[in-house]
Amino acid sequence: MIGQFLINGIITGILYSLLAIGFALVYNTAKLFHIAAAAIYVFAAYMFYLFAVTFGLPLIVAALIAVVLTMGLSWLTDGLVYRPLQKRKASNNVAMIASIGMMTVIVNLLAMFFGTETKVIGRTLQNNYVFGNIIITASQMWQFVAGTVMLLLFLLFIGLTTWGIRFRALSADSMLYETLGYDKTKTRNVVFLMSGAFIAIASCLTVYDVGLDPYMGMNVLINALVAMIIGGVGRFGVCILGGLVLGIMQSLTVWQFSSNWQNAVTFLLLLILLFLRPQGIAGYKQRTI
Amino acid sequence: MNDIRMSCFDLHTEVFNLLDGVNMSVEEGKVTALIGGNGAGKTTLFNIISGFEKDFKGRVSFMGQDITHKSAYRISLMGLGRLFQGRQLMDDLTLMENMKIASEDTVGEHPFDIFRPWKVAKNEAVKEQKAIDVLIKVFGENNKYLGMLDRKASEFSYGEQRLMAMARLLMAKDQLLLLDEPTSGVNPSYINVFQRIIRDMVEKEGLSVLLIEHNMSFVRQVADWCFYLSDGKIVKSGPADMVLDDIEVRRDYLGL
Amino acid sequence: MEYVLHIGIMLSIYVILVLSTNLTVGMANLLTMCQAAFYGVGAYIGTFFLMQYNLPFVVVALAVMLATGLTSLLVSFASVNLKGDYFILGTLGFQMIVYTILYNWIDVTRGPYGISGIPSIQILGIGSLEEIYSYFFLALMLAVLVALIFSQLQRSPYGRILKAIRQDELSAQSLGRNTTRLKTWAFFISAAFAGLAGLLYASYVSYIDPTSFTLNESIFIITALFIGGIGSRVWGPIVGAAVVVILPELLRFVGLPDAVAASLRQVIYGVVLIVLMFLRPQGLLGNAKLK
Repeated sequence: MIGQFLINGIITGILYSLLAIGFALVYNTAKLFHIAAAAIYVFAAYMFYLFAVTFGLPLIVAALIAVVLTMGLSWLTDGLVYRPLQKRKASNNVAMIASIGMMTVIVNLLAMFFGTETKVIGRTLQNNYVFGNIIITASQMWQFVAGTVMLLLFLLFIGLTTWGIRFRALSADSMLYETLGYDKTKTRNVVFLMSGAFIAIASCLTVYDVGLDPYMGMNVLINALVAMIIGGVGRFGVCILGGLVLGIMQSLTVWQFSSNWQNAVTFLLLLILLFLRPQGIAGYKQRTI
Repeated sequence: MNDIRMSCFDLHTEVFNLLDGVNMSVEEGKVTALIGGNGAGKTTLFNIISGFEKDFKGRVSFMGQDITHKSAYRISLMGLGRLFQGRQLMDDLTLMENMKIASEDTVGEHPFDIFRPWKVAKNEAVKEQKAIDVLIKVFGENNKYLGMLDRKASEFSYGEQRLMAMARLLMAKDQLLLLDEPTSGVNPSYINVFQRIIRDMVEKEGLSVLLIEHNMSFVRQVADWCFYLSDGKIVKSGPADMVLDDIEVRRDYLGL
Repeated sequence: MEYVLHIGIMLSIYVILVLSTNLTVGMANLLTMCQAAFYGVGAYIGTFFLMQYNLPFVVVALAVMLATGLTSLLVSFASVNLKGDYFILGTLGFQMIVYTILYNWIDVTRGPYGISGIPSIQILGIGSLEEIYSYFFLALMLAVLVALIFSQLQRSPYGRILKAIRQDELSAQSLGRNTTRLKTWAFFISAAFAGLAGLLYASYVSYIDPTSFTLNESIFIITALFIGGIGSRVWGPIVGAAVVVILPELLRFVGLPDAVAASLRQVIYGVVLIVLMFLRPQGLLGNAKLK
């Protein structure tokens, strides 16, 4: 029995990791509290719905289109709002409030166009894969495989490629990065495009069977933020660790208590973490002076 | 006896061992200087003494009491004042407000005190008078700042703000002042004023001063005693002139 | 006419809410995303008092404010000394916890079914406020009183030291101020007044459920605050509350269907917020910089 819950937890964890990476890419490199990521997540879901259901395209095609469009939206949040603000020397809190503004605009525009009732994409009954006691649905299998592939690719990217090293350098010291002659703007473009991609993939993989509504974004994002904090703030790869830990913990909570309370447990964990170890398992400690 | 005693530090930051065994005593009624290269650990030492850095092993005692690992505000209340590097007055507050918040008397600073306006008003008047007295003491009778009490701090020059930040340390009942590079970035014409203020603080107010400085001639003018910090250790200590004339100090630090 | 009075009552409630948020955000520089949680806690605790006991209003109000203030300690204890982003995260987490509890603890809060039939307020043990006129008068008086209190707070030495902490917390500590305690008080008072607003709301609409106290509501309150302006003037929050309460009513006259109007209104707020951050980040009437 516990096996089933563990598998569920791992798969959920993979989805959290993807979203956490999407957020962390922006937060670590541009130091922005990218609340609009919640809206980007919702946007991806609705694009997926639009092309898969309304236009009837094959799922993979619809998902790919959704990912591309979302990458564009992600880039726009930077190009239209964040970068101009930072050029005016706006503080990070100001950028965050603007991010909240963007989130409100995007989410409510989507609500105006698509309506506020929950929509569903996957309507047919799915095949299940059975491994002994453990049942994995088809969409779970997709989530597991696609998610793991993306995460592994990401680890390779961040650890080995030039761009990956640049991301880490930019996260560590942005002034030095610029002094060394790297183009911060080009790097930021890549960051936001990648962030959009990861958010979109997380979204499409999740909403296929869970469904979507315009206001689901913040809840999911906060879970991803908790995952990021558990893993460690400031670093990229550990988002995966945090996501898995959170996913498993939530699953075990559902197993022992009920699914209603898993949110409360998650956020209680967050408060405890903030108090005891805000840098997470493997993150950078914050200095005050 | 009013002094600071520290022994055997082990300050581990994430990256390396910053302070590696510091034994230091600061004597009452004197001006002591702390010199050393950048990154030698001087400001970190100040942070440890004043309670802003908690990640160390060792003991700090002040006026006979152990202040190791105590919180910064508590240590301040025990009579330790500090001037930070690079920080001046608080920009958005007026000169008078900046002076008032330096008073050790916090009556009125509780939210419920809005229900006791009489007590607060009386207290404010006392603080205002003290602020005026301090300004007169430091800048002389009829100084121009007495007419500028309602100006925002940001309207004063860097050097003036620095002087005022030092002056406001007299608002509290401090015994020891930690001054972190008081003359750094200040117009050389002001430096004599700094020297006079610091010596007045010691001779007339009975304070003790520990200061970090890079300006060696200033140190020679103002300090009685000197510590030379290098690589996280106190390598030389003695009367200011002696340390500044020491061959090793001149070679390693001053490059002479 | 009743319509106007209704608007007036909601406006008063939001004035209190936004003023309370200004204390943490504008004065203490603590960007809080859980004001709706305190609003909700006040509403539910107020409901409890109103339904169980027959106490004079002043007693109920003070009890609700105290209880809500104490709730704030749960989050400020863990987060008040954390760097800005972490603090926000802490308040976000708290908001979600409170909502989850309100929604799931059905035995106590009746969860999504809500609580109806909340009795109206007893004034001075004399009579109860059945008519909307009385409610309007009470709400307006409270709003004015709260505005006066916050105005006094801002001018007081406490307000001054909060301003100092916002500018340079470390220097404030080196001058002997217990900044942790001072910030915790700001948070406590802010929560207490949000709770008072909740009490007013619960007894006025006589039905509450968790959906009025979501994260969206917290964001709504913050939006109102930033539109009106943060800092040490009470007029900022008042104007902000007025904009977000009255604008939807104006939209109604344009004749849009309700559901669309609700979303459109939010879009407008979002756009206004973004534009403000570009042109005037302290808000229309604000005089404090967001750090």
